[in-house]
Amino acid sequence: MTDIDHAALAASSAPMEQANSARANSAQANKAQTTRAATARAAAAPSGVRRPPAEPPRRRRPPAWRYRTGQSLGRFALFALPGLLAYVLFVLVPIGMTAYYSFTNRNPFNPPTRWVGLRNYADLLGDPEFHQALANTVVITVIVTLLANAGGLLIAMLLDRPTKLYLALRGVFFTPVVLSSVVISVIWQAVLTDEGLLNSVLRGLGVADPPGWLSDPEIALYSIAWILTWQMLGFCVVVYLAGLQGVPRELREAAAIDGCGPLARFRNVTWPMLAPALTINTVMLLITGFKAYDQIQVITNGGPGTGTTATMAFQVVQTAFTGNHIGYSSAMAAVMLALVGTVSVIVLRVLQRREVTR
Amino acid sequence: MRRSMVWCLAATLAAAGCGVGGEKPSETSASGGDVTLTFLVFETPNLDAAFWDAAIARASAKVPGVTIKKLVSPNVDRTGYAKQLDASGNLPDILQSVNPAGFAQAGKLAPFTDEELRNFIAPKAGAIAGKVYQLPYNTQVIPVVYYNKDAFAKAGITGTPRTYPELLDVSAKLKDKGITPFVVGGGGADTWADMYPLTATVATDVYHKTPDWLTQRATGSVKFAGPDFTKAAQKVADLAQKGYIDPAGLSRSYADTEQAFRDGKGAMYPMGSWFATSADNTKPGFEIGAFPWPSDDGSPVTPTFTGGGTLVSSSAPNVGLAKKWALAFDEDKQNNDAFVKADGSIPAIKGYTPPSDMGPVYRATVDIYQKGMADGSIVNAFSQEAGDGSLPPGLADKAALGVQDLITGKKSAADFAAYLDDQWAKATR
Repeated sequence: MTDIDHAALAASSAPMEQANSARANSAQANKAQTTRAATARAAAAPSGVRRPPAEPPRRRRPPAWRYRTGQSLGRFALFALPGLLAYVLFVLVPIGMTAYYSFTNRNPFNPPTRWVGLRNYADLLGDPEFHQALANTVVITVIVTLLANAGGLLIAMLLDRPTKLYLALRGVFFTPVVLSSVVISVIWQAVLTDEGLLNSVLRGLGVADPPGWLSDPEIALYSIAWILTWQMLGFCVVVYLAGLQGVPRELREAAAIDGCGPLARFRNVTWPMLAPALTINTVMLLITGFKAYDQIQVITNGGPGTGTTATMAFQVVQTAFTGNHIGYSSAMAAVMLALVGTVSVIVLRVLQRREVTR
Repeated sequence: MRRSMVWCLAATLAAAGCGVGGEKPSETSASGGDVTLTFLVFETPNLDAAFWDAAIARASAKVPGVTIKKLVSPNVDRTGYAKQLDASGNLPDILQSVNPAGFAQAGKLAPFTDEELRNFIAPKAGAIAGKVYQLPYNTQVIPVVYYNKDAFAKAGITGTPRTYPELLDVSAKLKDKGITPFVVGGGGADTWADMYPLTATVATDVYHKTPDWLTQRATGSVKFAGPDFTKAAQKVADLAQKGYIDPAGLSRSYADTEQAFRDGKGAMYPMGSWFATSADNTKPGFEIGAFPWPSDDGSPVTPTFTGGGTLVSSSAPNVGLAKKWALAFDEDKQNNDAFVKADGSIPAIKGYTPPSDMGPVYRATVDIYQKGMADGSIVNAFSQEAGDGSLPPGLADKAALGVQDLITGKKSAADFAAYLDDQWAKATR
């Protein structure tokens, strides 16, 4: 701002100041008159004459903003507090307890519990079972994330038609999502055991020695990954269908008029518009893969053999409730939480950036 | 609005409080001193809900003032479930066939006195530091080799093997005829079902020579990687390597494994004696015989487990009544008859005689046990031990997973033995 600007501003504000000053003088004069009148009435009143009681000071209403804030807080408390309290009690407090136990040697069957500092974490670094569980978890997560995303997108594009048949098919694909993991595990166990449905079909087709889908240590992990993928496929289909229905038809038509073929239309119009759906699916699939437990407990119990299908979540439960090493398993759980959190946040950031820049 | 917030907070806290401790069934009622006790059981095809309900009713009729609230373990791993309940501060008042290891040392179980155990044949079985926390109500022979007589006849086998080389000959003859010699399971959550060949070879090659071997392992004077245990493991690896054990069985659950034997998918089924009544009750299309797993030189070895009864929590609302009820449950003649008929148990109660109408497979099994008692060949059953001289918590499950590696060839016998030493160190650190 230059000197000339300041001068202009001062000049323009001068009449306003004069008006304000006049209003203030007038208010002071009125106040002085009122005070004088009251003093005169008091002096004129004879002593002993009962005066009317003084008017009680009027209670000041709180400012409107404060009232509105209080109301909002009250509503927030009414609706959010139960959920918040449950979250604190059943999520944050257990996480805090887990973090604390991870620095102890807690074993409920071998008291007393002692503080061991970082020893559990140091032991994890040299624990081949934990390394294998970590590797298994990564393999499952990568397979589930890639396959379920690709399969979900493909099926969603096939089902993106408004006929009754396709609407019914959407329900069919979503069914595994609402089924319990244990139910799904029992079903797939019946299919994949060596004398199960799949091998019976293969034998019927002339395969003399079909694979041991669950009994062969080289295959079992991939069988588990497939079951998880199958279970999550319906979720991806629904999310991608929602995304596809948000792609404006005119954009595709414009691209077609510009001479884009189906592949180019998908690459330049549909796929970028599906970025939010990809973000949701990828993060959900990552979390599903990282916390895989139920299917392993029911179908393989971590086998066949030592740790071939054991995931981090499975290892945590086994160490805590079979081996009684609560402290050590808490350290595993803390590492798992940190890993899932870190990967999820990074992936979320990367995918969301893609949503913004496109 | 502030008032509504306070109400909201109070209601939420009240709801949370109800969730944690609102329904505690084990409370003595104000009138008459009656008590409600929780009782943890597990269900199997043999021991179904109707069985437990009837058995509970019979015991309750003998101990007035006790009301039992039955809790059912979600799977046969009732010990794991009991640990989960204990971790949430809800250890049941009475528990059926839960491994007392860990619970007893932590003071969570009430010991039975010598006077209370006077009716049991082996009152000190499963003792922990001299105290018995689990009623030693029954004995099981683990394993017995149940065999398909038709398959043996088809392979030209006229008698049962008396030595280990004879067992290998029998296996070779069966395989030559296209019959898988052994049915072994261990799929799904039933990994434990693969343990029985190893339990047998450890009995003949380790415990026969050194009955307190596991106690010595606890002191560190012997190792799994030593020659005796490694030899026992090598026998199992060899059986698999020769094709006498089909690795395909590793995807079969326990129930599927039993069914596979019934379906004739193998000729021999090394299994606990509880299979006997199942075989008698639901006869397959062939006759079943039984023989003990033979040792190298044919000297008798009978691996058994005695115990497995009820336990009482030291924090039960009325420990005295809970113990009284547990004793009534385990000593009741009808209950034991039901256990015998449903689960093939061999009750270890003085003066008890099994029902006279038991089937031939059960009688053959009891014969093996009685011969073992007569010739002094009873030894522990590896991975089934309870009390002092048993595996540390969790190690039996690790061993079962390791046996899968032995069968698939992923681990050699030496690797397997070293793995168990490593797991022992981890479990006891």
